[in-house]
Amino acid sequence: MFKAALHSGSGKPRRRATVSSPHKPAGRKLLEWRGRIDQHFGYGSSEASRSLYLEDGGQYAALLQAELEQPVSLGTTIIAASYAGGVVLGADSRTTTGNYIANRVTDKITPLAENVYICRSGSAADTQAISAYVQWFLQQHAVDLDRHVSVKTAAKLAQTMVYQNKNMLQAGLIIAGWDKQGGGSVHTVPLGGTLLQVPYSIGGSGSAYITGLCDKLWRPHMTQQECHEFVVKAVTHAMARDGSSGGCIRTVTISKDGVKRDFLPHTRVPIAYGEMQQPMSVGA
Amino acid sequence: MSIFEYNGAAVVAMAGKNCVAIGSDLRLGVQFQTLACDYKKVYPIHDHLYLGLAGLGTDTQTLFQKFKFHHNIYRLKEERDIKPSTFAQFVSSTLYSKRFGPWFVSPVIAGLEPGTWTPYLCGMDSLGAIETAPDFMVAGTAPDSLYGMCESMHKPDLEPEELFEVLSQCLLAGTDRDAISGWGAIVHVITKDQVITRTLKGRMD
Amino acid sequence: MTAGFQFDLCNRNRLLESKGVQGASVTKTGTTIAGLVFKDGVVLGADTRSTSGSTVADKNCEKIHFIAPNIYCCGAGTAADTENVTGMISSSLDLHRYATGRESRVVTAMTMLKSHLFRYQGYVSAALVLGGVDFRGPHLFTVYPHGSTDALPFCTMGSGSLNAMAVFEAGYKDDLTREEAVELVANAIKAGIYNDLGSGSNVDICVITKGKVDYLRNHEYLQNKTYQRRHPVTYGKGTTKVTKEKIIPLSELTIQDGDATAMDTS
Repeated sequence: MFKAALHSGSGKPRRRATVSSPHKPAGRKLLEWRGRIDQHFGYGSSEASRSLYLEDGGQYAALLQAELEQPVSLGTTIIAASYAGGVVLGADSRTTTGNYIANRVTDKITPLAENVYICRSGSAADTQAISAYVQWFLQQHAVDLDRHVSVKTAAKLAQTMVYQNKNMLQAGLIIAGWDKQGGGSVHTVPLGGTLLQVPYSIGGSGSAYITGLCDKLWRPHMTQQECHEFVVKAVTHAMARDGSSGGCIRTVTISKDGVKRDFLPHTRVPIAYGEMQQPMSVGA
Repeated sequence: MSIFEYNGAAVVAMAGKNCVAIGSDLRLGVQFQTLACDYKKVYPIHDHLYLGLAGLGTDTQTLFQKFKFHHNIYRLKEERDIKPSTFAQFVSSTLYSKRFGPWFVSPVIAGLEPGTWTPYLCGMDSLGAIETAPDFMVAGTAPDSLYGMCESMHKPDLEPEELFEVLSQCLLAGTDRDAISGWGAIVHVITKDQVITRTLKGRMD
Repeated sequence: MTAGFQFDLCNRNRLLESKGVQGASVTKTGTTIAGLVFKDGVVLGADTRSTSGSTVADKNCEKIHFIAPNIYCCGAGTAADTENVTGMISSSLDLHRYATGRESRVVTAMTMLKSHLFRYQGYVSAALVLGGVDFRGPHLFTVYPHGSTDALPFCTMGSGSLNAMAVFEAGYKDDLTREEAVELVANAIKAGIYNDLGSGSNVDICVITKGKVDYLRNHEYLQNKTYQRRHPVTYGKGTTKVTKEKIIPLSELTIQDGDATAMDTS
């Protein structure tokens, strides 16, 4: 009996659980990441060790664990549309780790400056970090200018971050806002880091389901109310078809008059085709 | 094969009434080939503090030398021996600094806190997560059987001689079903006034 | 000693791995941690099991870590990471308080945690529930290993998070009283302890209100043995065969901690 060969080795790192990602075999991304840490923080023993020790991944007993191991991501529907005097941004509120909904009331519409907001899709960690950096740059910039920053500047900053770190980041962004020079404007930054100014933009996994709908419904020179209705309708239909989108609908309207937030709880999200009428006893 | 099972080891530490005991087996092997049966895995740091290191032999030796060196420096600077709890933090941070390329060791620390002479007992994983214990701590290639023995045999407030017998029996019985540890054992019982070191007769198969 | 991580053993360990030797392997295990905002504060809760593979390494460990006098943090993930990450942020905040002379804010702790975790791209695997009360009122955050954060009125983490969340979703109401909140959190943790194999033992609770913290260590003690030894075995003196003995007498001259002396600031 070769018992020793079967020993479960001791000295395993002790774990308290889960929700994380972690230890994939040393891949290219990891090596790049190490290089970056060396560059930025002066850590490590530099060029000598470009690789990392990694736990082997093992045979994970529970499927559930693998679920929770997934990075937190915004499988999402986001949208921003311009109208005569400004823009309306919209998003669902679902954040997932694998199949588990980690947050059902997420706010994916983040302020970058007083007059510019960003819709985030992709990795929650990456997009939060990008937003934080852009906020920080824009605050400095606003002080230098002594007035509101332009939407274009904000979008360009976000685009630069995504483009220069495209190997590290998973982020699809829509930047929209209002400024004196350009009025309401919508800028989109998809995965590789392209920057496009568009009349309206949709993003995230849910957007695939509503391209036709949006092309049909969007018109130039809508009123604020029409634009808001358009955004809500688009997100509603995406949420109905896309499993990674759901929850409630958040919108932000930006015009010369300022910023207005709206929140549609899940009980008041309009019914889309194929959805059953909600029983009155459920929800509030 | 796990790297922790390359050389084979068993370390047990137990707390008693104003005393602690720590012991290890004596086998050193390369997988199934036994090389020595007088290889101790418990190292003295100072009179009232012992460190047990199970894991990869090369790493345990290197680490012990590091710790001994740092304790010598500490003594020169502070003119006193290090407290066991302080030493544990030091070991922990040494291990955590190598979080992404660790030493393959599982340390067990046993000592008496100066002044009160109460037992201090703790163990760690290879990344330096401290786990303090009021009763016993085990490490090595047969942790499950050692845990089983200790869980069943240990009682609080044992006198030094009682503690010696309990720990010795746990260690010997615990390694009986592990092919790569055993071959005799060594046990240190630490009290305020003396350290008793005994080499035990064990099965040599 | 140098600051930060050292990577000098990485190449060696990778070589060993390439020769078919396993490094430290991790079998998935778990934790249940949870937090809840109530009428005048925050309640944090945790189980007390720590595991190494399928072995319970510690039956009564502490998973609610001190961050600042008004902020505490529950940790799940690799024990070494949760311990060190919370410790580092705790000491940075300590220095920050000396510099500013003000009470720490929960968002500051949260931002420091997320930027550290983001920097290490999820390889520092700490999943945290951070809670506290500052001058703006009670705050509760979850921090994920990759560095993303959520602000929520109730949240759970760890392998027992689904069990605990089920209890929260069923029982949460706005503006619970302190007693109701503690009971709900304890029930959530117990759902993890009983239904999730990675979680177990006891319930730790920490209640943070304005100007006051109640750390209820082992609020519910559930790990009592279900049996008593009727005839405990005792090994008489001489049971063990000893081949060699050495007794080192220790001199009476011993270490003293000494009285505290004021630092010379002249």
